[in-house]
Amino acid sequence: MANTETKQLDSIISSRRALLTLGGAAIAGLAFAPRAEAQATISDADILNFALNLEYLEAQFYNLAVSGVTIDKLPTPIPVSVNGAAAGTVTLKPSFAKVPFALPTIQAYAMETAIEEGKHVSFLQGALGTAAVSMPDIDLYNSFNALATVAGLGSSFDPFSSDATFLIGAYIFEDVGVSAYHGAAGLIKDKKVIFPAAVGIHAVEAYHAGLVRTSINVLDAGTGTLNTITQKISAARSMLANPSGASTTTYTGTKADDIGLTTTMVSLNGTSASFSSSTIVDCDSNSIGWGRTTSQVLAIVTGTDPSATSHKGVFFPSGLNGTIK
Amino acid sequence: MEKEIGLIKRAVSRRMFMAGAGTTAAAAFLVGCDNSSKAPSTGGGGTTPPPPQDVPDNDILNFALNLEYLEAEFYLRAATGSGLSSTDALSGAGTVTGGAAVQGFSSAMQQYAVEIAQHELNHVRAIQATISKNSGTPVARPNIDFTNAFNALAAAAGIGSSFDPFSSPSAFLVGAFVFEDVGVTAYTGAAPAITNTDILSAAAGIQAVEAYHAALVRTLLVGMAAANKDQTYVNYANQVSALRGKLGGGNETMLSISSIVAADTTNAIAFSRTTDQVLHIVYAAAPGAGVKSGGFFPNGLNGSISTTAS
Repeated sequence: MANTETKQLDSIISSRRALLTLGGAAIAGLAFAPRAEAQATISDADILNFALNLEYLEAQFYNLAVSGVTIDKLPTPIPVSVNGAAAGTVTLKPSFAKVPFALPTIQAYAMETAIEEGKHVSFLQGALGTAAVSMPDIDLYNSFNALATVAGLGSSFDPFSSDATFLIGAYIFEDVGVSAYHGAAGLIKDKKVIFPAAVGIHAVEAYHAGLVRTSINVLDAGTGTLNTITQKISAARSMLANPSGASTTTYTGTKADDIGLTTTMVSLNGTSASFSSSTIVDCDSNSIGWGRTTSQVLAIVTGTDPSATSHKGVFFPSGLNGTIK
Repeated sequence: MEKEIGLIKRAVSRRMFMAGAGTTAAAAFLVGCDNSSKAPSTGGGGTTPPPPQDVPDNDILNFALNLEYLEAEFYLRAATGSGLSSTDALSGAGTVTGGAAVQGFSSAMQQYAVEIAQHELNHVRAIQATISKNSGTPVARPNIDFTNAFNALAAAAGIGSSFDPFSSPSAFLVGAFVFEDVGVTAYTGAAPAITNTDILSAAAGIQAVEAYHAALVRTLLVGMAAANKDQTYVNYANQVSALRGKLGGGNETMLSISSIVAADTTNAIAFSRTTDQVLHIVYAAAPGAGVKSGGFFPNGLNGSISTTAS
């Protein structure tokens, strides 16, 4: 096996040497493009830190929703400042209070998710050790208002005001988390420890997403109001991730990679499309979940273009910590 | 040697990065697969064609295909009363025992059943297409038995001497519960063995869909129990979960209003299972080597991964 590897390596090295002698234009036209070459230095730690930023965001959102305090103020605090680097701040509306849950089921789901996202933060901090980044500045106030504007939901949106708005807030994050871990999985080099963990967290994010989407669909029964909001959010996410492929009102663009809650007619047993189906699962027409590149995820959480050289804004007003930002 | 390994890692990572960079659409077609963690394969994502000895192995895909046949038949029958078309089941397909349209579905429940049926049908088709494209032969649907398997599972789980998941919406959810978390653990377990980036992306995409399904089923079970003030079917699900844990190496999380997600409680990371552990569950057989049929697959799975090694 080492022989095979060595041969492959030799052929890679020799082909690269050959390319280098051909000059920049030839290189750019081939697979070892300059941009990919530059980013090939992304390490597993870089990817895990990227994930840690997203987990800080989710953990803060859910814990604030159920407990009214940031994760470093919980009875069992989760540190936000690690390895000597100062933590950012969490921006909340001036009169912030935790969600006044009226439905025990939704409150229980929120609590479970808060605990699990907190564990993801702890796990990633532990896995990264001295390489772990601190929490960046996180905005859970202006961000939702900005996103509401982009999605056509009005000029303001408070995810902490009711069971329903909380679920919509959660909806904004979870499918993105799924697509982020999906996209990042292929970049991970350590297949023994880090990769299986990332795949396992990916599944948990999908459980969360399924839980949130099911809960919204059940809560929305008969009205359609919440489902319409999810469609607008999905369209906005798709537009941010694929600026040329989607609009704010539809997700039918060729590059659209998101679907909100709705009903659609499907064919089964080889018959015509005569069965009404829900769309609890956020997946493509082959029933396979979407993956997003780190740039696409950055675009969604910061409201920037995927091709931007620096991603700052919306949920991360000062950008992410780490090298992928 | 260390230097070589470092170079290999860098070379591989570069290939994987590039193959993954444009990945959103990559999931549509799986092009190759390998079930051992051997040499990094250049697969379909690299700059050099794979050498002959790296012709991808379709065994894992066929293993997954058997599981997707099982799920597709379950949901299609529950939602419509009919199973896979002969075209989708492939030539030489085995028989299916049991399964009928569930009576009493609300329109929402019917839509959920249809949605999952559509996904599992699409997974069958996607995996078949992938294996064919990968110069392999997709296995036909094996013999599947719902009637006796659910009765045996119910008896082993302590639910009773018989159980018909097609008899009511609540029973249907318990039946669905039997499959979905197993699907998640199976894909989570298989993913690290996959060396080709396109395959990996697709497998991750299917894994996510199975987890969405699992969450849908678990949320509905708990929600309906809360609404009806009746924990009967949640209790059934937990009895099933305990049995799966016994057959499949643990890897279970008790279902309750405060515990929807199936994951390791120490770090909130989902469980993974080996193919052996998955086989023991679908064969409804205690751990041990040499088990090759039983439970939902009275004649075993089709393909080369069908007998337990442990």
